Amino acid sequence: MVKGNNSDRKRGRVSRRRFVQAASASGIAVGLAGCVGGGGNNNNNNGGGGSGDTETPISTEPPEEEVTVQIAADSNFKGASDAIIQTMRENGGLPDNIQVEFIAGSFESGDRRAKYQQLLSAGQENPAIIMMDNGWTIPFIARNQLQNLSASLPESIISTVQDTYLSNMLATASGQNGDLYGIPLFADFPTIQYRKDVLREAGYGDSDFDSWATESMTWSDFSTVVADGKEVLSGQLDDPSRAQGFNWQGDAYVGLACCDFVEFMSSWGGSYFGEFGNLFGPVGDRPITVEEEPVINAIRMMRTFIHGQDDPESLEGYEQISPEAVVQYTEEPSREPFTQGRAVALRNWPYSIRINAAEDAFGEDLGVMPLPYQVTAEESKYGPEIGGIPSALGGWHLALNPNASETVKQGAVQVFRALQDDQVRLDLFEIGGWIPPIPDLIATDQTRELEPIGRYVDQLKVAGENAVPRPVTVAWPQQSTQVSKEVNASIRQQKSPADAMASLASSLADLEERASQG
Amino acid sequence: MATETEQAETVGGDRSGVYTSFVRWMENLTETQFAYFLLTPALLLLLVIAVWPLIATFRLSLFADSFIGGATVGEFVGLQNYIEIITGERSASLPAPLLPTSLSMSALFESALAVTLVFTLASVFFETLIGFGQALVLNQEFTGRRWVRVAIIIPWAIPIVIQGMIFFLLFQPDIGLLVGSEGNGILQQLGIMSNTPLANAQDSTLIVIVADIWKTTAFMALLILAGMQSINRDLYDVAKVAGASPWQRFKTITLPLILPTVLVAMLFRTIQAMRVYGIIETVSGCTTVPSLSCLVIQSFFQNSAVGSAATIAFITAGIIAIVVSVYIVGFAREGI
Repeated sequence: MVKGNNSDRKRGRVSRRRFVQAASASGIAVGLAGCVGGGGNNNNNNGGGGSGDTETPISTEPPEEEVTVQIAADSNFKGASDAIIQTMRENGGLPDNIQVEFIAGSFESGDRRAKYQQLLSAGQENPAIIMMDNGWTIPFIARNQLQNLSASLPESIISTVQDTYLSNMLATASGQNGDLYGIPLFADFPTIQYRKDVLREAGYGDSDFDSWATESMTWSDFSTVVADGKEVLSGQLDDPSRAQGFNWQGDAYVGLACCDFVEFMSSWGGSYFGEFGNLFGPVGDRPITVEEEPVINAIRMMRTFIHGQDDPESLEGYEQISPEAVVQYTEEPSREPFTQGRAVALRNWPYSIRINAAEDAFGEDLGVMPLPYQVTAEESKYGPEIGGIPSALGGWHLALNPNASETVKQGAVQVFRALQDDQVRLDLFEIGGWIPPIPDLIATDQTRELEPIGRYVDQLKVAGENAVPRPVTVAWPQQSTQVSKEVNASIRQQKSPADAMASLASSLADLEERASQG
Repeated sequence: MATETEQAETVGGDRSGVYTSFVRWMENLTETQFAYFLLTPALLLLLVIAVWPLIATFRLSLFADSFIGGATVGEFVGLQNYIEIITGERSASLPAPLLPTSLSMSALFESALAVTLVFTLASVFFETLIGFGQALVLNQEFTGRRWVRVAIIIPWAIPIVIQGMIFFLLFQPDIGLLVGSEGNGILQQLGIMSNTPLANAQDSTLIVIVADIWKTTAFMALLILAGMQSINRDLYDVAKVAGASPWQRFKTITLPLILPTVLVAMLFRTIQAMRVYGIIETVSGCTTVPSLSCLVIQSFFQNSAVGSAATIAFITAGIIAIVVSVYIVGFAREGI
């Protein structure tokens, strides 16, 4: 090793002595700058921030000062914010000193859940009101991240909500002890949309359509009707092989677990956790019933729809009516062939009724009916809540951020009050098609006049009355992944229904146990 | 008793003494020691930026998941998360198992580690091969070379989400020409893909690999081309005069001189490929093609299982470290 000699070093442009001096000076300067700059960056958490206490009583009197209440919603709400605020002021009595600001979040529900998780964990004050999917409100409640409205608001307000809103929807915004943590904003109920023009050619008539509108039919009858329609449609298309029968959503995603499969399963009288009362817990102390015959038969029927009688697990009495592509369909890919006129029937949410019933689509030739069933509510082992006409319950709640300041919380209560007004609910239905989560408001003279959705409010009402909520608990996010994976594997013929459900039962039991341990 | 002035002089003298002895110590450092001394602030910064998150992640991985209450994680469980995830005991709680549960093909494509390794090996191999070919072509003089370069770079410039949507639509039945809902697409008729490729793990993995090759080959081509252009042209002239054939010139000049660049490019791509997430999420979704990053993201954001997510993240980092070590050993053998 050669030590450099001093003379060599000194020939360099910067000597080590000079370097130490420069580095010391720079270090001191940076240190000072850091000290100066580090002081005043805490404004957000000071000056009237909320306590984060979820049970503090909130005054129901309007605040006297100017208050801005931010509502985390989606781009549809933000786009219609002027009309919404106008009706809240004119009909809901929202005071002028309360400004409402809608914030558009991601259109994807899961993205918004992740975002809200972050901001609530960080204790942020804004937004004060958060629009939450009924499919994931309960995990936030379990984490004590939302204001307990039952504990914070007068009993009169809470009891009004509990007496008038859809009870199944309220259950998805309630804690284990029944306390309310969110107020339903709008509900969503899937229905079957179908082509009247095609079925007319297949020999069905208006009397059938009128009957189906509120009474629905069995899956076996439905498969016959769709098969008849598909035959007609095949003759109408240039390429008959592109004709589809019944489209639904069978992709391995949360929609299969929460909704499509819940509908198929409960229409047979099957359930994930037995009785309806077990849907929301107690986690770890409820039976797992996915291996029961109704559940297996529901999957066999789904497979028959896709693969026909050639499938070794097929059920007799059902036609092959769904394209194989349903196993990778989510909402939009399943809707597009129907809107393009290549499918006879479609299971989808109300947003697609507005698209397909438009005059430039099918207009009055679009028929809508509640989902078919296989066993009646009375015949069902877990009836009457499970069984009969099924419809997965979708929709969104408004929850209150406990970290908001007291004044903003007061303003938020006024927003809740304004939104409870019947006329405001009806206006929301008209403005954006947001269905009131109140059964009595769905099919009224006023809603019947709304074009085009007004033609179908009776069907929506039936669907709403039969809506089945998903079993949302702290374990559900993980359980739903397992459900969609196993059911999708089975309808793709990768696993027999019995094997898939045995595997699912084992996973659900494991997740129940883990979640119950905290 | 010393006066105040004397005391001040003593303190000042002490300061001066410390400074002088520090400078003297520094002046006596060897060049290597001095280099490390200068690197110390940067290394400390690296420690904070790179190592601290790793330590924090490791710490989180030692705690149980928490589903109830305000706490982010549950109780301290030591290495239990690692044991349960690696042995498969935790598979039911994870969006996909880490390791294959059996030796069947379907089990292989359901396992996050296997899918990630298959993706990495296939994409890096083909990207290097095709990128090398493209670089060889671009290294030649021909009319329109500039436009060909632009054409090759275009896929690299497309945002990953846009690219994902292109491939998603390409393989949607009846939307792209490749797949039809009734088995009437080109790829189905050729027997290459099933009727529902985006719901099929093998097909989807293949699609994601093709999508990645389509996009990232340009990256490899550009890196390799830069290496090729740094080769002294005189070597080729001398070889030509000596009568070397094009193959001999490639084998004895281009290949040895370009190898270090190729290996470094492969190292970069391997690290990137091991972390694949975006293209999977946009084309097929993580449920169908579960990579290691998918597992971390689903566990953290979807399941709020922070302990499990941290454990998988740390395992992923460990696997990447092992792969990088393989490259580094390779570099050392090649004297790079």
